[in-house]
Amino acid sequence: MEEKNNPLSPHLQIYKWQISSLLSITHRIVGVINILAITIICFWTLSLFLGAESYELINNFFKSLLGKFVAIGLCWTFSFHILNELRHLFWDMGYGFDLKISKITGVLALVGSFIFTILFYLVGKNFF
Amino acid sequence: MHVSTKKWLITKISSFLLIPFMIWFILNFISIYENDYQTVVFFFTKQPTKILFLIFVVIAFFFSALTISEIFEDYIKDQKIKNVANKLLNIFAIIMPLITIIGIYNLS
Repeated sequence: MEEKNNPLSPHLQIYKWQISSLLSITHRIVGVINILAITIICFWTLSLFLGAESYELINNFFKSLLGKFVAIGLCWTFSFHILNELRHLFWDMGYGFDLKISKITGVLALVGSFIFTILFYLVGKNFF
Repeated sequence: MHVSTKKWLITKISSFLLIPFMIWFILNFISIYENDYQTVVFFFTKQPTKILFLIFVVIAFFFSALTISEIFEDYIKDQKIKNVANKLLNIFAIIMPLITIIGIYNLS
């Protein structure tokens, strides 16, 4: 059989975007972003060895507008991953496979991720 | 049990375990990320935050190694490149938590 040099899966260029495919690819991208963020956080903890003066550089970054954006962004990537992972776990138990239910839970995961982002940030900052 | 079934089951168990640790970590990260050096050092060296953070890191890297290998399976055609990518991924998933554990335990 002739070997074709096609991409294996999924064929992102030819798929029509819909909530299921959007959440599926976002879940993967967010998962990679999260592990990169956790890697950076590990280096952040290791940077504590360098002492208080070096820490000031990182602290200044976190206190900047960009630093806050990164922290809030991390709240969203964590929120989205948690909610969509729960959706996957329910599928694995045999619930929510119906197309209509699947679309509803997809929208809930997406909208819920933004609500959770706000909640995580406010609870983390002791606003409650 | 088939090796793929075992891998799927371990992936699902680790993802289930990771969820409460992710919630715990993000809430604590938001509460400390702007704090001064002493507060952050205290957070990573006191118990139970020290052990919880290390468990979170171990599960996160373990889970990521399992799931990123699925991405390699879907997108990398060449078997040799896929094997090398998986080996590098596994080494990274072992070394990073190990360095972090050693680092945190030597931080005082």
